[in-house]
Amino acid sequence: MLWQFNSGSPIYSQLIHQIKQGIVSGIFPPGERLPSVRDLATEAGVNPNTMQRALAELERDGLVYSQRTAGRFVTEDKDMIEAAKRGLAEAQIHAFLTAMTHLGYEKEEILTLVRQESEREATEHGGSGM
Amino acid sequence: MAVLECNALTKRYGKTPALEDVTFAIEPGRIVGLLGPNGSGKTTLIKLANGLLTPTAGDIRICGTAPGRATRSVVSYLPERTCIPLWMTTRQLMDFYQDFYRDFRRDAAEEMLRHLNIRENQHIKQMSKGTREKVQLIMVMSRAASLYLLDEPIGGVDPATRDYILSTIISNYNPEAAVVISTHLIADVERVLDEVIFINQGRLVLQASVDEIREEKGMSVDELFREVFKC
Amino acid sequence: MLRKLLKHEFRATGRIMLPLYLVLLATSVGANLSTRGLLETDNRLLDILGGLLIIAFVVAIIGVCIMSLVVMVQRFYKNLLQDEGYIMMTLPCSIHQQVWSKLIVSAVWFALSFAMVCLACVLMAFDVSAIQEILDLCQELLHALTGKYSFNAVAFGVELLVLCFVGCCVLCLEFYAALAIGHSRPSHKMAWSVLFFFVLQFAMQMISSALIIGLDESAFYYFLMDLTDVHLSGTAAIHASLWFLSACAAIYGAVFYFLTTYFLKRHLNLE
Repeated sequence: MLWQFNSGSPIYSQLIHQIKQGIVSGIFPPGERLPSVRDLATEAGVNPNTMQRALAELERDGLVYSQRTAGRFVTEDKDMIEAAKRGLAEAQIHAFLTAMTHLGYEKEEILTLVRQESEREATEHGGSGM
Repeated sequence: MAVLECNALTKRYGKTPALEDVTFAIEPGRIVGLLGPNGSGKTTLIKLANGLLTPTAGDIRICGTAPGRATRSVVSYLPERTCIPLWMTTRQLMDFYQDFYRDFRRDAAEEMLRHLNIRENQHIKQMSKGTREKVQLIMVMSRAASLYLLDEPIGGVDPATRDYILSTIISNYNPEAAVVISTHLIADVERVLDEVIFINQGRLVLQASVDEIREEKGMSVDELFREVFKC
Repeated sequence: MLRKLLKHEFRATGRIMLPLYLVLLATSVGANLSTRGLLETDNRLLDILGGLLIIAFVVAIIGVCIMSLVVMVQRFYKNLLQDEGYIMMTLPCSIHQQVWSKLIVSAVWFALSFAMVCLACVLMAFDVSAIQEILDLCQELLHALTGKYSFNAVAFGVELLVLCFVGCCVLCLEFYAALAIGHSRPSHKMAWSVLFFFVLQFAMQMISSALIIGLDESAFYYFLMDLTDVHLSGTAAIHASLWFLSACAAIYGAVFYFLTTYFLKRHLNLE
C-alpha cells in the first residue's frame, strides 16, 4: 500500500481517502483484520492520533468496525463497499469534468474524447485495456 | 496533568533574551513540533526542560515538578550532537543506560539494534556518523519516559535514516507520554506531528494543531512556516 | 547512584590506567634484568641496551605519576564539560554525586599509582646486590635516629604519605574548580580555565602567607606555644605539624569542591 500525502487538505482526511481506496481495491479485503493503529501509523509514516481519527471516522461511516478485544475489521457488507467505490469514482469523475471544462471542452466533446481514448488504449494493449 | 508546562518562561544571557515570556502546555499523548529558525530559542527551551539551564524568570514544569533530579528520570533527551562515549561498545552503552534509568527497556533496544544489524560488541568509535546517531536515538527511544525531547533528530542525516528515525518515533508512541521534536526540517516531520509550536526570536508565535492549520488556513505547516518566517 | 557512577568511572579510566601500569611493571622487569645481567657484560651494544632499559624504567615512573593527574583532569573535562556532558548532566544524579565520583576515582588511582611505583621499584631491585646494600644502610640509619631522638619513622612515613595523598587530591580538585569556573563563561572557556587555575593558586598562597604572618604574635600563636610547652617535644611537633598541614590542605580541598559544585550546578554552559 503506497501512502502519499499532499499539502492541500488535513492529513486525516487524506488517510480516510487512501484507506477507502485500499478497501475498495481489495488491498484490505472484506472481513480482513486491519493492523493496529500504531502499526498502520508507522507504515503510513503518520501520527497515531491522526490515524486513529481517520479510522474512527471510517467506523462512523460503517466501512470499518471494531471488536473490543479482537481489533478493527473491514466490513463484510459488499453493498457498503460498492457504495464507497461508487463514491470515490464519482469524486474522480467530478474532478475530471471540472478539469476538462477548465480546458474549454463541452460536455458532448468530453464524452467523445473519453470514448476515443478508451478505444485507443484498448488497441494499444491488445484488447486488455479498459 | 500537562507533561510539559511553561508559564511566562524567560531566559536572558546578560541583556540578551534567549526566551521571552513563553507560555504553553503539552498534554500526554501528543507529538509536538517545536519549530523555528536557527537561534530562535528552541535549544534554550529544551535545555531549560532538562535542567541544564535555570530560568531567569517564569516557570517550567515537567509533570508538575520543576526540572531537577526527579524529572530527569522521566525525561529522555536526544541531544543535537552525538554525545555517546566513543570508547564504549554497544553492549556497554546499554549497560550504562540500564544502570541509570529504571525505565530503560533493554529488550526493545536490542531488537532495534538487531534490526539495523548493529552488533553488541561493536565499538562506537568504529561506526559511521549515521550509525552513531541511530544508536543514540535507539537508546533515547528505548526508555519508557514521560517526555521525550528530541533536538534536531533528523538534521544532517540521509533521507533513509530520516525515515527510520521518524518511524521509530511513531512505533514507540505511548499515549501517556509526550514527544517534543525541535527541528527546522518541517516538511519531513509534519505528518508525524499532532501540534506545532512556532518560536521566533525567543517568543512564542503560534501553538496549533496540524489539522487546524490545514483546515483553517488551507496550507501545510511547512507553507505556513515559510509565510510566518519570511525573511 | 554514586556506586553506579563509580562503576562507570572505573571502567572508563581503567582502560587507560591499567595498560599504563603494565608498561611500568614491564619496564621495571626490564631494568631489573638490565642491572643483573646486561650491564655486567663487556658487549657495548648490550651495555647501551641496558642503559636504555634503566632510562625507560625511570621515564615510566615519572610518566605514571604525571599521567595519573593528567588522565583524571582530562576525564573530568571530557566527561562533564564537553559533549558527553549532555548525557552525564541529564542523568538522575546530583552534582555532588558526579563530583564525588570523579574525586574518589582520582584518589584511588593516585593511591594505586603510588603502590604500583613501589611495586615496580621492588621488582627492579629484586636480587640486585647493590640495592640490598643501600637498603641495609638505610635501616641502620633509621635505627640510630629512632634510638637517639625517639623518632618514629613509621609514623613519619605515614604522615608524609597522607600529606602527599591529600595534596594530590587537592591539586586535582583545584583543576576541577578552575575548569568548572572557566567553562561557565560563554567564550574562550579554556583560556579562562587556565587563568582561574592561576588565580586559585595565587589566592591559596596569599591566604596561607597572610595567615602565617597574621597569626604570628597573635593570641592564637601564644595559645599554641603554651600547648607545645606543656605537652609536645621537638619530634612530636614535627608529627603534629604534618597532620596540621594535611588538615589545611583538606580545607583548601573543601573550598575547591564547593566552587566546583557551585559552578557546575548554577552556571553550566554546555555548547
